[in-house]
Amino acid sequence: MKNNLKVLLIEDDMIEIMKFNRVVASLKLQHTIIEANNGEDALKILQKKDELPDIILLDLNMPKINGIEFLNILKKDNTLKYIPTIILTTSNNQNDLLECYKIGIAGYVLKPLKYDDYVSKMEKILAYWSINELKQI
Amino acid sequence: MSQDKIDVLQRALAREKAARKQAEKILEDKSLELYDAKEKLEQSYLELEASLNKKDSQLQGVFENIVDAYVIMDLLGNILKMNEAAVSLLGFNHAKENFNLIKMAAPEEVQRVLESFNILFKKGSLTDFHLNIITRKNEPKLVHINASIIYDNGTPVAAQGIVRDITLDNKYKNRLETERQKYSNIIANMNLGLVETGIDDKILMVNQSFSKMSGYSEEEIIGKTGKELFITEENAEIIETKDSKRHRGEAHSYEIKVRNKLGEDRYWLVSGAANYNLEGKVVGSIGVHLDITGIRKLEHQKEKLLNDLSKSNEELKEYAHVVSHDLKSPLRSIDALVSWIKEDNKGKLDPTSIQNFELIETTLEKMEQLISDVLSYSSIGSEKNEKTDVDLDKVVKDLIKILYVPDHISINIENTLPTIKGERMKLQQVFQNLIGNAIKFIDKEKGFITIQVKSLRTHYKFSIADNGMGIEKQFHNRIFKIFHALNKSKDSTGIGLSIVKKIIDLHEGEIWLESNPGEGTTFFFTLKK
Repeated sequence: MKNNLKVLLIEDDMIEIMKFNRVVASLKLQHTIIEANNGEDALKILQKKDELPDIILLDLNMPKINGIEFLNILKKDNTLKYIPTIILTTSNNQNDLLECYKIGIAGYVLKPLKYDDYVSKMEKILAYWSINELKQI
Repeated sequence: MSQDKIDVLQRALAREKAARKQAEKILEDKSLELYDAKEKLEQSYLELEASLNKKDSQLQGVFENIVDAYVIMDLLGNILKMNEAAVSLLGFNHAKENFNLIKMAAPEEVQRVLESFNILFKKGSLTDFHLNIITRKNEPKLVHINASIIYDNGTPVAAQGIVRDITLDNKYKNRLETERQKYSNIIANMNLGLVETGIDDKILMVNQSFSKMSGYSEEEIIGKTGKELFITEENAEIIETKDSKRHRGEAHSYEIKVRNKLGEDRYWLVSGAANYNLEGKVVGSIGVHLDITGIRKLEHQKEKLLNDLSKSNEELKEYAHVVSHDLKSPLRSIDALVSWIKEDNKGKLDPTSIQNFELIETTLEKMEQLISDVLSYSSIGSEKNEKTDVDLDKVVKDLIKILYVPDHISINIENTLPTIKGERMKLQQVFQNLIGNAIKFIDKEKGFITIQVKSLRTHYKFSIADNGMGIEKQFHNRIFKIFHALNKSKDSTGIGLSIVKKIIDLHEGEIWLESNPGEGTTFFFTLKK
């Protein structure tokens, strides 16, 4: 049975957020999307431990707390560290990639140029995580 | 004659007889004593004579065997007697020559000689008299003379003298003095600072260079220790360990940071060694100082420059990544927005608008490719990747499998490609770009791409030949420069060959090409074995 996921999308670019929402809507998926414009907002959302997301989609290049800093904070928290976090970024910088895997991530996906490619990538990610057994909090 | 008279006479005779006998006896005894005495005298005379002879021959021996020249002369300077040493020193042929010694003095010395004779007569002796002489064999010599008057019953009759040849001694002394002068000149004028210290580390002597180096005058330095003059806190420890080493007699050199009189920090290279006295005891040390501040400063500058360079390289790389991210994001957004307009207006747009939207999308793709290429060009060389053994044969064969090769083009690898030391991803990029170019520019019905390798002494020479449109000679050099694409097309950004060249440079190789326009192009490149 497919789960309906609660997805925390951490992304500072308005159009990127629109893109993600449009994908979920156009694919008629029942996932709940929580938006955070930056790492600080995301941490505030994550403070409510009874409403934690099933997965996190994280952009790396953000103002204030950047993606890697956010990831570090997350992985040091005894509860939050269990939430699968997938990096969604333009950066194919090998240093970033290695650093993320070192800290601990559940995926590293490059944002493609073509919107069609983006739709296909998001569809797969969501489909994959919706068939996974996730920790009940 | 009466009996009595006879008796008296007889008795008198008897007495006379007895007395004479006694006298004879006494006489006999005396003469015996005398004889004994004479015998004794004779004996002692013999002894005396023997001992005299002995003394005489002893003296003769001394006279003959004495190492120094020994001369006896009369009061006018005429030689009376001399030993063999004198004969040879003064250049005579034999000991019996008649000669006046005054004539032997060098011309400029005659006055001094006469004065010395006066002294000799007045005082009875002359000591430590140095004189330049010209010997009978015409050799100039410097001699040392001690002389004294010989008296007979208080009257001077002759003079005796011991003469020593000090010509050589004097030469050595002169030479030593010259050497000493020479070295002290060197020490004074050399660029190295020289310092002599006593066992208490107090400075005994410095040369001019040291005084110049340190900024202190000689008077300010002498009697102080190096520690109180030059040492900053951070160096105190070095000096102490070095000092104790030196006291143990070890020679060593070390670098030290000091502060001169002007308060400037200077770097000195110091070479120190213990100074010994004649008994071999350490009495202090001698240190040679070289100011290497200039060199040190250059080194520090170089270090700093290298640091700055690697920092700015790192920054540049980060910058390239950030810029490429920031540039790509809007492209993605535009693409999404265009897609949505198309999607939301399906059936409402006229064909021209649809075509224009497609043109926007193509332009976006090209723009994105451009950004990726610039990023990868600027990243080459800034990443420090380990060089590993790369099997180029496998790399190229795998590459051909994933490249899009149209059906009318065939790629042929003529010989097995070697394994070389390098960065796999980058070497793959070289083949990818060159083969990709060849495919792109083949304008014939049947396309052929041929890959070859030839082993040179230190390098491998590769060639990738195609039968494409070819490149005119005048562009051969330009095409390796960034943004010099000859054919502005959808999938050509003009960076591909620049990337190839940069990677080949990185692998200590070269790249060039031969081409006949219309017939085809062959790219050659070398990679270090």
